[in-house]
Amino acid sequence: MRKSWLVAVTTYRQRVRSTAFLVLTFGLPLLMVAVGAISILTQIRGALPPVGYVDQTGELTTVETVPVDDETLNLTSYANVEAARQAFTNGEIEGYLVVPEDYLQEQATTPTFYGEERPNAKLETGLTSFMRRALLPDAEEWAFERLDDPSDVTFVARETGERVEQGAPLFVRVATPAFLALVFVLTVFTSANQMGSAVVREKEQRAMEMVITSLSPRELVVGKVLGMTLLSLTQVGVWVIGAGTAVGLALFRTLSIQDLSIPWWALLWAVLLGVPGYFLYAVLGAGLGVIAGDKQQARQLAGMLGFLGMGPMYLMGAIINNLGGPLGVGLTLFPLTGPTIALFRMTLSEVPTWQLTASFGIIIVSLVVSIWTVARIFRAAMLMYGQSLRPRQIIRALREA
Amino acid sequence: MNGTVALDVQGISKTYAAVEAVKDLSFTVRQGEIFGLLGPNGAGKTTTIRMSLDIIKPTSGKISVLDGPMTEQKKSRIGYLPEERGLYDDMTLLDTLLFLGQLKGLSRQTARERAEAYLREVELWEARDRKIEAMSQGMNQKAQFVAGTMHEPELLIIDEPFSGLDPVNTRIIKDLLLRMRDRGTAIIMSTHQMHRVEEMCQRILLIDRGERVLYGPLDDVRKRFSTNAVEVDLEGQLDEVPGVKRLTPRNGGYRMMLEEGVQPERLLQILVDMPAVTVERFERVQTSLEDIFVQVVGREVSESEEEAA
Repeated sequence: MRKSWLVAVTTYRQRVRSTAFLVLTFGLPLLMVAVGAISILTQIRGALPPVGYVDQTGELTTVETVPVDDETLNLTSYANVEAARQAFTNGEIEGYLVVPEDYLQEQATTPTFYGEERPNAKLETGLTSFMRRALLPDAEEWAFERLDDPSDVTFVARETGERVEQGAPLFVRVATPAFLALVFVLTVFTSANQMGSAVVREKEQRAMEMVITSLSPRELVVGKVLGMTLLSLTQVGVWVIGAGTAVGLALFRTLSIQDLSIPWWALLWAVLLGVPGYFLYAVLGAGLGVIAGDKQQARQLAGMLGFLGMGPMYLMGAIINNLGGPLGVGLTLFPLTGPTIALFRMTLSEVPTWQLTASFGIIIVSLVVSIWTVARIFRAAMLMYGQSLRPRQIIRALREA
Repeated sequence: MNGTVALDVQGISKTYAAVEAVKDLSFTVRQGEIFGLLGPNGAGKTTTIRMSLDIIKPTSGKISVLDGPMTEQKKSRIGYLPEERGLYDDMTLLDTLLFLGQLKGLSRQTARERAEAYLREVELWEARDRKIEAMSQGMNQKAQFVAGTMHEPELLIIDEPFSGLDPVNTRIIKDLLLRMRDRGTAIIMSTHQMHRVEEMCQRILLIDRGERVLYGPLDDVRKRFSTNAVEVDLEGQLDEVPGVKRLTPRNGGYRMMLEEGVQPERLLQILVDMPAVTVERFERVQTSLEDIFVQVVGREVSESEEEAA
């Protein structure tokens, strides 16, 4: 284990200082944070500008101010379009709404807003609010609040009379498991890819023959996997912090932390299944690197492995519709998809403990078998510089072991 | 320790699909000797080395390394400089040696001390912080030699240790090898440079097509292939000499092939007794190892092989 750890630390140090790693690791989150920052800037810039309106129906009530969240939308009424256009040209208003003459008739034309650019979300909300107030002059303020959220219903169980917690909408409840699953898939995909390239590189640099007379193929494989794991965790850690910051910046007013949290026991199972699941991908990535003849081939093979990890994402609709169905259970028990599918199912419904335990056991057994197999193939392939391993050679390597 | 068997190979064979790369090969290597492993390209030398180091398994036969089968612990007592060699391009020289030294069981501190001592000896200390990819072929070659020997192994296997080295660096590596031998290290040297074998090796094994064709002390091998001929430089003219069946002028002197049963000492006496002749040089012709190699293997070492060497 000492030698494996030495390989791991050396591999980590060697790769973490490389320009490619630094650019990829810090460039991506910087981009994400920039996108998040642009979003928040858009929101800040979205401070409500003064606007005008032209009531061509002559029937609307004059409204001068409309509350929008914590701000106020100021509106000026103009007698005709020409006057509104003149005020817009003079910079007195940043746009004007024209309510057409036939608006109050059955076959109405919709109002039109004229401005430099499309109004931001806050102004759109303000204009909607304005129209309600202009159409309902006698309504109280609370009536408008009802209109803003008419479906705020309390549900009560008929038999027990107890209130039923509705919780957040489905898309909010799956946000956390989806994010965690995305992080997992991203990590394993990155690891498998880097692992395969690292092994090919090891073969290309021809240091293998010297190194292998100092430690066993198993120690070398375990060391490489550990080193690349540390590397991937560093990379994905930076990405997650970057993504978290970006998402936080973009949605900080929309979602509550309570909506995003998942039960602690689900998180525990996610870790129990995710950690060995991750190592399984890394070992398989190493195996693909051993089989591949060059980096390009290693990347292609790792891409196929990554597809296996991402596969469940495409089936998510079918899985969510029938969480305890054969597809959901089958993918929970399949070692390459177990960690992500189990997390989704646990967040949205109850998953029998036997399924989680079985999934854990299958992942561990798969991991042990993978290390054994890859170490043996490694022995046969490490001296085949620039050549890929054929199926017959793989079988022979396993037999000779 | 000198004289103890470091590597004992008994009847090993290796078959790849239908090709038998090594056939029933046996030899021993002792502590304190440099053992020449010779053979034309594709003869099975590298396969034999890899089997000896447990990198690949023999199809049959038995190998004893440092008094028993190979174990993970024994790997720290063995050094190896393979023919297909390389180091990690993006690591510095010192980091590379610290890593490989620690893999051989040295503590980080000892690895650092040994690396410094060896790098100074091979004149690479100034390049310790340079990346491997930025080093010349000769520097790389010396760096790999240090990587394979800095843990001071009891058994060292080196494949073409002098390739890519200029005469000065060749001398440095040669002196290091001789010093290791004197300390009791068993050294197996595979090379196509026959003059190096003649200079450094005590015993040799020549294999061809996976089979042993010559094995034993270098002197014995040479004697077996000696030609009973002498080379003579002299003043005077010779047409015919008693006891000589063929007389060939050569580089201002003569090569004389002696008749059956005639000893060189007898011929020297005959020449000295000749009044019109003054002998300036008299030397028994030693058959070179390269001649023996060509004679046994049955073909010239081609230019390409020399290049590869």
